Amino acid sequence: MPRSDHKVTIERAVLPNGLRVIASPDRSSALVGVAVVYDVGFRSEPEGRTGFAHLFEHLMFQGSAHVAKNEQTRQLEAAGGVFNGHTMADLTAYYEALPAMALELALWLEADRMGAPAVTEENLRNQIAVVEEEIKVNVLNQPYGGFPWIVLPELAFDTYPNAHNGYGDFSHLEEASVEDAVKFHRRYYAPRNAVLTVAGYCEPDDVFVLAERYFGGIPSAAAPPHGPWPEPPLPSARRRVIDDPLAPQPAFVIGLRTPDPVNHLDQHLAYAVAASVLGDGEASRLRSRLMHREQLVTDVGCMIGQFGGDNMLMRDPALFQVVVNHPGRATTDEIVSVIGEELSRLAETGPTEDELGRVEASFAGAYWKGVDSVMERSVAFASLEAVHGRAELLSELPDLLARVEPSSVQAAAADLASQSAAVVEVVPAGGQP
Amino acid sequence: MAARPKLVEDKPAIGSLRLPRKANIVEKELPGKLSAIALRHTGVPLVEIRLSFPLEAGEITHSAPSLVLTDALFAGTEQHDRESLAEAVERLGGGFGASVSGDRVDLHAFALAAQLPEIFALVAEVLTSATYPAGEVRAERDRKADEVLIALSRPEVLAEELLSKRMFGRHPYGSAMPRPSALRRVGAEALRGLHRTLLHPASAKLVVVGDVPARRALDIATDELGPWLESGSGAVAALEEAPPVRPGGVALLDRTPSVQSVIRIGGSAPRREAEEWPALVLANDILGGMFTSRLVENLRERNGYTYSPRSRVVHGRAASTFRFGAEVSTEVTAAALVETRYELGRLVTKGITDEELEAARSHSIGSFLFQTATQSGLASTLAALGSTGSRPGYIAAFPSRLARCTRAEVEEAARRWLSPAAMATVVVGDARSVAGPLSSLDVVTAA
Repeated sequence: MPRSDHKVTIERAVLPNGLRVIASPDRSSALVGVAVVYDVGFRSEPEGRTGFAHLFEHLMFQGSAHVAKNEQTRQLEAAGGVFNGHTMADLTAYYEALPAMALELALWLEADRMGAPAVTEENLRNQIAVVEEEIKVNVLNQPYGGFPWIVLPELAFDTYPNAHNGYGDFSHLEEASVEDAVKFHRRYYAPRNAVLTVAGYCEPDDVFVLAERYFGGIPSAAAPPHGPWPEPPLPSARRRVIDDPLAPQPAFVIGLRTPDPVNHLDQHLAYAVAASVLGDGEASRLRSRLMHREQLVTDVGCMIGQFGGDNMLMRDPALFQVVVNHPGRATTDEIVSVIGEELSRLAETGPTEDELGRVEASFAGAYWKGVDSVMERSVAFASLEAVHGRAELLSELPDLLARVEPSSVQAAAADLASQSAAVVEVVPAGGQP
Repeated sequence: MAARPKLVEDKPAIGSLRLPRKANIVEKELPGKLSAIALRHTGVPLVEIRLSFPLEAGEITHSAPSLVLTDALFAGTEQHDRESLAEAVERLGGGFGASVSGDRVDLHAFALAAQLPEIFALVAEVLTSATYPAGEVRAERDRKADEVLIALSRPEVLAEELLSKRMFGRHPYGSAMPRPSALRRVGAEALRGLHRTLLHPASAKLVVVGDVPARRALDIATDELGPWLESGSGAVAALEEAPPVRPGGVALLDRTPSVQSVIRIGGSAPRREAEEWPALVLANDILGGMFTSRLVENLRERNGYTYSPRSRVVHGRAASTFRFGAEVSTEVTAAALVETRYELGRLVTKGITDEELEAARSHSIGSFLFQTATQSGLASTLAALGSTGSRPGYIAAFPSRLARCTRAEVEEAARRWLSPAAMATVVVGDARSVAGPLSSLDVVTAA
């Protein structure tokens, strides 16, 4: 296995108000990445307010106590910065990359919106409209819209936090009020519930001083409760068929349970290795067999998490997914049974030495690719710190995966093969072109 | 009751943007007339490789073979079958693949930096001895046909295709994506022929960026690619300049059901080497190239018509084009087109403010630095520059060119290139709902 002695440094501090601060210096470029990650995502949003965590992310870009609407983004761009935000099951992230001398500007803007976002009725109505257009462009006007990230949890889970649509129902979005936003901010956007990361061209001691200067005046508040939201395994298999008038071909996803990614990380990683051996890369078992040898599918892949690969960024439960697009040469049941055979074969004979070596090397390459950008690096550190309390996990993961025993992978495959699966099928409802 | 936050009221002062130092790019012609550039970039212990190959006019117009080739290239060599080839790449902690990007085929690879010789050896192996096994080719072309079927069910894909046709007519750039039926006819012999005419060193451009000294990277390339470099050379593909975009009207493609309309607007744009190029970049940033641009503030932040309106310039070998895109609710389709054309018109008739110019200048320099701060971003940027004949020195020169632009130059570039009267417009959506309102704005033709 190829190795590298290249290291990423991490230094940390905690402000008196509870804000966790991480600095990761690297002078290979003149840019600095800044991320603020809040320990709240759509699994925490109130019932009757589906989509609110994501809507609130939009509202955080609408100005704050000392920054007018559009000024926050204008200041960042006028300083040569790029920025974005995203909302996931358990996390909401805000981040930017800027030329290093603009670091203080980013910290000032992030502190201002953490302390006092300015949510007005007009901004709220405008952003509800924007979010509805976002949902239309990504879900309602697309073939396979919301597949599998919205449709699988709805079938695979029974409790509100896990099962509901995190993009939100239009009726819930439209009922949202300024008062809801004030309450949500007070509950979830306290410094104790957030992690600030600065990665790239920076001096850690300066970062800690600046963090105190800009964020120190935000009052401390208790951290809200957060997951896990465990659910018992499905008692029996479930199947849902969705007619999709825009889809030209069938697709389906199999959803299975994994061990808790946070509290049982070692066990969870055996499932991650199984996912990689089965369905990550052209040489993986399912791709080799289903795509290349038997030519039954257009695409097949295994992933863990809601969006795939985000399993380290969420608490229990996280789904193991096998996602398949196929032209209909075989039925869903026939393809599902081939997948079952491969799970059983992995359970019986385990992964080969060579497969484990390739998984390890691939994860190492993917890890370094993932931290090449200072912006992605800052988000990854802050997210892992929020969920696992350990930003270092990012660089430790390749080694942790290398230590997974073949017998653990066998046990993981055996468990997956024995579970009652949730299967969502997308069936083309329009005329075949 | 929570305590009030004590926030710092005043915006901190920030220093002025520093322009990057000149990068130490090494350029060299390798045997076989392969033009190569390499650049050391530390940060992560990886290395990125790009090899780009220009397509001929006929290969762009009938792109089914090149599209199948991008996958079938890795379907087996004289030494490896598909699976063992993929395994060999994974052992290097890397990956490789190929793609068609408009008028060229790009081969891309990466690996841990210490594995540069090994990844180059695998690249050389597919280039010299890909076998295109008949069974694999059949499977590959059917899979590509299925992928294209799915792509053609996406409204954005249909709109981009329609805009290209509308802008370029019979020029190869106006061609449609290959249809599934054409893909299902591609045979192994055609791929072997295309491999010979397309994938030869004399017309290719090689880029290596990573944590490897530049000269050493090119020495490794020369050694490992040796058999391919000696494999002989062919002609460099020519492509005639595309004619200027024919403006006017709205081409409407019906897609029912649709809850949104996809609007695309396009026009001609200056080449990267043109004097006015950086000025046009700044004009475009102010118009729709950045988040705090006029179009985003109007269409999204003020009117809530759309999630992500953006404009950009795309460079090909035969033309550079301006492109605007937005996906808007069906019921506001005409209103969104009015606002878009208004912003284009306002820019070319009423000019810009100094404040807008300075924001755009910092943004365009900053986002270029961001784009070229990662190994893969830098490698892809250099490959794109090379494919249109730009020199790698562009990387260092572009920020200074942006830094020197005056307001008069930006306004002049906007007048020359961004007039709504010079643009073609296409809409993909529910024709029964949008044809009427659109007809009150412009001549609408069914596509």
